Amino acid sequence: MRLICSPAGIVNREYPGQGLLDIKEAGFEELLCDAALFFDEQPEKRYTHYDRVFAKCRENGLTFPVMALRCPAQEADRERDEGFFKEFVEEGLEVCEKTGCRSLLAPLFFEEVSKDRRQEEAAEFYLKLAAATEKSGVQILLRNQCRDLNGHLVRGFCCDGQEAAGWVDTLNERAGRECFGFCMDAGTCTLCGQNMYDFALTLGSRLKAVILRDCDGAADNALLPFVCVDKGQTKTDWLNLIRGLREIGYDGMLILHFPDSARGFSPLLRPRLMELAKAVADYLKWQIELETMLKRYPSRVLFGAGNMCRNYMKCYGEKYPPLFTCDNNAALWGKEFCGLKVREPECLKELPADCAVLICNIYYREIEKQLREMGIAAPIVFFNDEYMPDFYFDRLEERV
Amino acid sequence: MNIGVQTKNIIDDKDPAAGFALMTEAGFTCADFSLNAYLVNNSIYKGELNSFFDKTAVQLEDFFAPHKKAAKDAGIVIHQMHMPYPVYVPGQSQEVNAYLWDVVAAKSMQICAFFHCRYIVIHGLKLAYYLGSEEREWEQTARFLEYLAPMAKDMGITLCVENLYNSVGGHLVEGPCCNAKKAVERIDSFNEKYGAEVLGFCFDTGHANLVGLDFEDFLTTLGGRLKVLHIHDNDGRADQHQIPFTFSRSRENKTSTDWAGFLRGLKKINFDSALSFETAPALSTFPEALKEDALRLISRVGAYFMEELKRQP
Repeated sequence: MRLICSPAGIVNREYPGQGLLDIKEAGFEELLCDAALFFDEQPEKRYTHYDRVFAKCRENGLTFPVMALRCPAQEADRERDEGFFKEFVEEGLEVCEKTGCRSLLAPLFFEEVSKDRRQEEAAEFYLKLAAATEKSGVQILLRNQCRDLNGHLVRGFCCDGQEAAGWVDTLNERAGRECFGFCMDAGTCTLCGQNMYDFALTLGSRLKAVILRDCDGAADNALLPFVCVDKGQTKTDWLNLIRGLREIGYDGMLILHFPDSARGFSPLLRPRLMELAKAVADYLKWQIELETMLKRYPSRVLFGAGNMCRNYMKCYGEKYPPLFTCDNNAALWGKEFCGLKVREPECLKELPADCAVLICNIYYREIEKQLREMGIAAPIVFFNDEYMPDFYFDRLEERV
Repeated sequence: MNIGVQTKNIIDDKDPAAGFALMTEAGFTCADFSLNAYLVNNSIYKGELNSFFDKTAVQLEDFFAPHKKAAKDAGIVIHQMHMPYPVYVPGQSQEVNAYLWDVVAAKSMQICAFFHCRYIVIHGLKLAYYLGSEEREWEQTARFLEYLAPMAKDMGITLCVENLYNSVGGHLVEGPCCNAKKAVERIDSFNEKYGAEVLGFCFDTGHANLVGLDFEDFLTTLGGRLKVLHIHDNDGRADQHQIPFTFSRSRENKTSTDWAGFLRGLKKINFDSALSFETAPALSTFPEALKEDALRLISRVGAYFMEELKRQP
């Protein structure tokens, strides 16, 4: 899975050096080529900023795997025009070629036209785009989009999973090659109150990119994931997004897009914010790939005999059975928990080198330190049950 | 075509005749009987069940006999009824959950039949968080429907599932029955199995607005399976159950709910059943002195919808 940082809110196209440095220093290696950000509105100065930004990206070793087409708001109804196509689409394709972008994020800009007209004209627009990308082999990504109903954002183009999958399949068929895929915008799903598990499952392998952004479900903001909360609970349904992507074995692009959070922080704090953003992206990637991680080890034992161990056994116990579990609570040693023998931590010293110790307890770092100090040679990895495929109706009482 | 409103906040058990007369005066011809007001959801979630449904079938009929007579006298048809909900509370005792199915749901069906009410609206179980998917959640709702379907067939009642929402950190997102295509398959499968219209759909405009559903698409997909409406409005954020055309979210002050799409959808499927409003909270937000006026406004909105539906394209 590739982690891609959107430069919006971080990189100033006039002086791109500092923003790109912050992105690089945080550990990102790939950047979204955002045409709306990098290109000038004035045709004669179109490439001035782009050239400057691209040169700086090269200096920092940042690459562009995906480009987002732009469409100034006042031009939206021109998307079907030949002029628009030449001005904005061909420019995008040219940049794709120059930068090596393999994917082109091409939303439908004329969302507001009537549905019947939209069907026909959208197909025409996308097939024209497909013809233009035939030589380069760039993949075109459709995106789920809101419709503005007098200030209330509701489900628009490709918000229905089946409709979205249908568009991708039909366009590929009509184009005669697999040149269309889908980019799921988690923010749009949140604004439309959608179940992202169902959405991801319906799209399956058509899903090539996911835009990760947070919002409050009412305003179309793009915030850093996990910042939009109410009484300690996030307003974005990360549970169902992760469940869905994990279940389809998603391995595409994760595009972290948080311009509103980035702009809200002082430039003095930006490097720390970028570190957090990278940690958040890494965490989401790790959660999505959790089962892949479990597959990696030929055998495993658990550390912890509580709720997390119980959840592991419920969801993964059959597929990835542990040899046993262990716990620091001596009162549990020798007993059985969820079908596993509970043993003392000393037993871990006898494990083969490729048997993973999965820490199933939220005191991860403390337990990891304990195990390292014990000289455990086996790989020590964290398990986490925040985003399980399913849950028990109850929780075990905490032992005092 | 009838125009209806829920009985909650209108009908007083001590004098149901006054409430039904008020409905008639305001311009309504049918009612959505709020059976759920006799065992409210907040109490059920807490496992605090009152003794209302402990009454025998005969006692319940005695209790509701004045309501039935008053409705008839006022010329109000009990078009639809709302079963108390939820019918299952995860984490609650087996005893509470069994009571909700075996006693509350079963007796609700009997009361519905007693009123000669054709439709009863039920809430699907909200279990996707625990079970992992809407499909597995539906399996449990289907179990509940399987339990009720033979009764429904015998009594000539259609059970109506309603589009619902869930809360994620206070943000309302789609819940059970928000996918029209799936609803169509499931309704058809039930009705084929039982050889009768035991299952239909209740489209709730407010819930649909909260999760940004496309009204027109949803209604058109449902077609004739749409039996019942819960018409109400909100700001797209909270389930306020207010009068249509109340909310606006832009400086132009146009409605932020897709009433035009709602009418287009109803028109496309030739909907000719009751335009029923689930707007009880609007009656408690207006002062008591304006209650009749508020009811008249609701009824007038219904008449406007009816006129629009009758208008030639």
